[in-house]
Amino acid sequence: MAERAQRGESYFEYEHRLVMPDSSLKHLHLIAHAVHGENDPPQYVGAVQDVTRRRLAEEALDKARSELAHVSRLTTLSSLTASIAHEVNQPLSGVVTNADACLWMLDADPPKLEDARDSVRRIIRDGNRAADVITRLRALFSKRAFTLEPVNLSEAALEVVALTLNDLQRNRVVLGSELADDLPVVAGDRVQLQQVILNLLRNAVDAMIHVDDRPRRLLIRTEREGADAVRLTVKDAGIGLDRQTMNKLFDAFYTTKSDGMGIGLSISRSIIERHQGRLWVEPNEGPGTTFAFSIPCLVENGAAATDTKVS
Amino acid sequence: MSAEGVVPRSLVSIVDDDESVRESLPELIRQFGLDARTFASAEAFLASEFVNDTSCLVLDIAMPGMSGTDLWQELTKRRQMIPIVFITASGDRSIRRRVLAEGAVECLFKPFSGTALREALNAALQLR
Repeated sequence: MAERAQRGESYFEYEHRLVMPDSSLKHLHLIAHAVHGENDPPQYVGAVQDVTRRRLAEEALDKARSELAHVSRLTTLSSLTASIAHEVNQPLSGVVTNADACLWMLDADPPKLEDARDSVRRIIRDGNRAADVITRLRALFSKRAFTLEPVNLSEAALEVVALTLNDLQRNRVVLGSELADDLPVVAGDRVQLQQVILNLLRNAVDAMIHVDDRPRRLLIRTEREGADAVRLTVKDAGIGLDRQTMNKLFDAFYTTKSDGMGIGLSISRSIIERHQGRLWVEPNEGPGTTFAFSIPCLVENGAAATDTKVS
Repeated sequence: MSAEGVVPRSLVSIVDDDESVRESLPELIRQFGLDARTFASAEAFLASEFVNDTSCLVLDIAMPGMSGTDLWQELTKRRQMIPIVFITASGDRSIRRRVLAEGAVECLFKPFSGTALREALNAALQLR
């Protein structure tokens, strides 16, 4: 500061980090400005503030935020890995079992050739099933442009449920599903709709994470809505939301969860709106909350029930 | 190698919600000289007429609805002490320790070898 004073600067502001004799840290905030008195050497008036507590609090908050983000990403990744492993292990198990059976059949006296061939055909089917799981997962988490195709929401929902089953089991969620068999098809981006369903399911699981005095019931339902739309509902038995929170839920602010696997509610809503649909929330009669979205059906001549803009 | 049992063949009931497993396991188990039936859910097994005839249960753990361990509890409640071989797609090794400690014959991790399955089934059937 003395050098700057020599050069004639008149306003200073510094922060100093000091190590005290007892090794503790202090943060000082110093401000000073020149006062031109009668004598030549300039004088300075200033103040020194001990801002140690504020600075340490800010550092702690930053650290906590980045740790939370890191843990959140790891939890998401590990949860995702567990889901993928679980899904892929099933057809792999089929492959190994079918192959074992095939060897037994070939070693039989006389060899059971037709049975052995059937085993091999099943191996091919299982191999393709494993490949399908990978494809579905890749599609679910890739960035791509909005593409329209006919989508059966019941099937789309079933796939998402299969992916999150592991997560649900681990969180002791009791899953009920009422997916309509005869659901009319909608025109939509299958992957984006699945991302919305995933978002709603994960929010429902999160809402019930501290519920211990009642079963953690999660209901997912698809049904017709009126004559020309379909509705998907996710109902939880969690802590519920008050009116105020419900109004703010879809604001961008509420999507600050650093959840790499999912998307926030405001993005979910904009995806649904892009499908000419609507996404809403309502409290349950009992504990918990219900989220639902509805989308117009694909009308028979291939057009959507209303115009669909593709951006 | 043929292992024809003495008539009648012991019945192994397989409960697993996964299609690949339900299509492959009974074929292998029949090569061991045993009879095999599959069920897509614990509820389906309980509602079937095969509970009393089952000499050994091959049970998936994680299933939608009633889990494998729930089914085990229910059977214990009904005093149906059927020997159980758990099969699971989870990688959590501590599951095996836990179920063995509570009296399961074995807990195999998918994908498991035919040899491991056969040894587990032999151990289970000796208990009956």
